[in-house]
Parts: sequence; C-alpha cells; structure tokens
Amino acid sequence: MRCKTMLGAVILLLGFSMPAAAVDEPENVIAYRQSVMKAINGHAGAIVAVVKGQVSFVDHVAAHARGINAMSKLIPGLFPKGTDNLEDSDTRALPDIWQDWPRFEIAAKDLEVESAKLVEVAEGGGDVAAIGAQLQMVGEACGSCHKPFRAEKN
Amino acid sequence: MPQAIPRREELVARLLVATLLAIALQAVTRAAAAEEPIVLPAVAADASEAVVRGAYLVRAGGCVACHTDPKRKDMPFAGGRALKTAFGTFYTPNLTPDPVHGIGDWSDADLLHALHDGRSPGGGYYYPAFPYPSYSGLSERDVADIRAYLLSLPPVPRADRAHELSFPFGFRPLLALWQWLHFEPVRFETDAGRSPDWNRGAYLVRYLGHCGECHSPRNVLGAIDQDKALSGTFDGPGGKKVPNITPQKDHGIGRWSALDITYFLKTGFLPDGDVAGGAMAEVISESTGHLTDGDRAAIATYLLSLAPREGP
Repeated sequence: MRCKTMLGAVILLLGFSMPAAAVDEPENVIAYRQSVMKAINGHAGAIVAVVKGQVSFVDHVAAHARGINAMSKLIPGLFPKGTDNLEDSDTRALPDIWQDWPRFEIAAKDLEVESAKLVEVAEGGGDVAAIGAQLQMVGEACGSCHKPFRAEKN
Repeated sequence: MPQAIPRREELVARLLVATLLAIALQAVTRAAAAEEPIVLPAVAADASEAVVRGAYLVRAGGCVACHTDPKRKDMPFAGGRALKTAFGTFYTPNLTPDPVHGIGDWSDADLLHALHDGRSPGGGYYYPAFPYPSYSGLSERDVADIRAYLLSLPPVPRADRAHELSFPFGFRPLLALWQWLHFEPVRFETDAGRSPDWNRGAYLVRYLGHCGECHSPRNVLGAIDQDKALSGTFDGPGGKKVPNITPQKDHGIGRWSALDITYFLKTGFLPDGDVAGGAMAEVISESTGHLTDGDRAAIATYLLSLAPREGP
C-alpha cells in the first residue's frame, strides 16, 4: 500500500514537473522562430561580408547558402496562428501573414528558390560578382516578406 | 445509403472549391502585383540629354513612389497615393503631361515655383507633405530636366483626388502662415572647402533625395527641426520610428563603413545581413537602388561627415 502511495506520488510529481503545457506555447514558438531567422540572418551577413570584399572566404559561400536554403523550407511552419504581434508579444510578425497566407507562402517559397540558385552559383565556382548578383535576388526575396509582413523596429 | 445525393453534393462542393480557388488565386496574383516595383516606361533611345538626365533625377528624387497609386502601378506618376498623416489624408497629384489633370501646360517657371517655393501655378500654397522645403535647393537645370522627362511620359487623364484633412488644416490660407513661420527657400551652394564627392552627397541627401523628410523629427505644425536633422524620429510617416542616420555610434550609423552604406542603398542588406522592410525597402527599390555607384558613394561620404546627433 505504502509502496503504491509512493509510486503515485512519484508519478504525480513527474506529471507536474513535465513542462507539457509549455511546449509550443506562442512565446516559445516566437523565440524559436527568431532563432531560425537569426540563423538565416547570420548566413546572409557572412555572405554579405564576402561580397563586399571585407573577407576572402569565397569558398564558404556555398555552405552559407545551403544553410539559408535549408532554413527557408522551415519558414511557413514557424508561423502558427496566434503568434502575431497583436498581444503583448515580442515579435514583429504582422497579422497580415494569416490574412494573406497564400502570399506569405509564395514569399517563403521565393526565398527557397533564390537561395537554391545561390547554392548553384557558389558550388559552380561562381566569382564574387556572380555571387553578389544572386545574393541580391535572395535579398529581394527576404524583402518580399519583410515589406508586407514585418513591423518596423520600435 | 443512396448514392445520387452525395454525388450531387460532391459536384457542388467541387464547383465551390474550384470557384474559391480561382478567386483565391486571383487575389494572390493581385497581392503579388502590389509588391512588385513600379515599372517605368523606357526612355526613348533618341531622347534628348535633358530627358535622360531628368529620368535619373526623378529616380534620385524618389518622385514615382509617392506620385503613383500602389493599386495602379500601371499608371506611374498619375498620382492618387494616399499619405496618412496626423493632419489627415493627402492624395498625391498627377505629374503626367495631361493638360487638364496633369502638368502638361506648366512652364519651366511653374515647376520651379512649385519645387523652390511650394506654390502652385495659380499662386496657391502647397502642403509640406510635398517635400518642397527640401526640393527648394534643387538647381534650375535639374528642375528643367525633370520637367523635360515628365513631359516625355504618356499623359494619363486621371483627376486628382481632394485631400481629406481634419479641421482646421483643410483651410489652405493657413499655409501662407505656415510658410511665413517655417519656410525659407534655400539654394544649394558648393562648399569649396569640401570634395566634389561631398558636395554631390550633400545635394542628394539634403535636397533631391530629401532624406531628412522622414529621418528628422518635426514640430507640432509638421515642420522639420533642423537642429536635429537626420537624427531620426519616433514619429515618422505612419507614426513609425525612423532611424538616426547621423554617425552616432550607438543609435546611428557611426559603426557603418562607407561600403556598408552604399551596399545597403543598393541591395537593402544591413551590415549584419538583415534585409530592410518597411518604407526604406521602397526607397531602395524605387530610388537608391537605381543610382550610380558614384552617387551612392557621395551619399555615404556626406552622411559620415556629419556631426553625430542623439536620436532614436
């Protein structure tokens, strides 16, 4: 009997200590999303430094482009409903994303396509000028989402 | 279970889905079009030097972004864009050479008077939503070339829409008072002590590019606080924060190199790899992205030469 009580208490305690309720809470998804966006941002910043001629790591560009391409495929999944900037949340994601979801998906797809082309250019031994030209297309893809769907910094 | 009914229902459902899809697709195409940059008619191969120069100056001046209805990008310069401000909504006028609705019957002097003095050919006063306090510094030759280019465009017979302003701002004679209080025509003078590059940058930033119109704080009557010019504002267009573009180290561009500035103005990439959104993205796609590398470098030279100012 006492053994069972102990077991019950342990199970109960475990149950309470499991952070089940916190999984995929909006604030957690928002923080995770920002980590993924920062990853894209970081790779882009690295390529920008190469294109500007500030560093000579041209042979790294393909790896960074693959990083952006891999992350771009995750983007639509990072925006579940209820993760906009309406509540007192720490995000710049505008509600327009969900009002105009097909267009949002097109913009995300655009980044996937343009970053894949950047991978090709870099793997094909493209020079800095060719990389720069395709990076600009990647930037436009980023902008095609940031313009309509991201609030400006406060 | 009878088969006929679900089949008919299925048919109806399919039709409905197909229709909805078609509508949705149309909406998507239209939405995507709204994000596209404005395509300007190509300048004719045999165009005069004035028209060619004017086309470039109009790009540098960012005229097309405000003077085009975002829903009618097929009619560039025909006006109709709504500019929402604290004083009400302004609707931009038609700049095409239509003689009735546009500027087809304007003379060089008329356009000069509008850009230099904020006055219409009929003598009326313009609202400073039209950034004439900046354009006031344009050279006469540039204004004449801008007019030559605008006159080369296809005329669009689109009537201007009246502004919708809150009381008492709709009362235009007040603008004479505003000008008396806040406006002094300026003329660009070359600073012989500075490089040609710096002087060109000063002209582009202060006058033609009118950067300070968004990047400066304004007083309650909407006049730019010149002592804080380019130091950014918490209350820019649409009530949004606009960043400080003086070389202040923490909030401004004090840690940016000239290359950081020119690359940003060309591509939208910030030094850290983020890509601009919002109003500046539009400025880049409609204006600074079309400038020569030399002009972007001049802008950088000028901005980095400024005294750092505190500001958001």
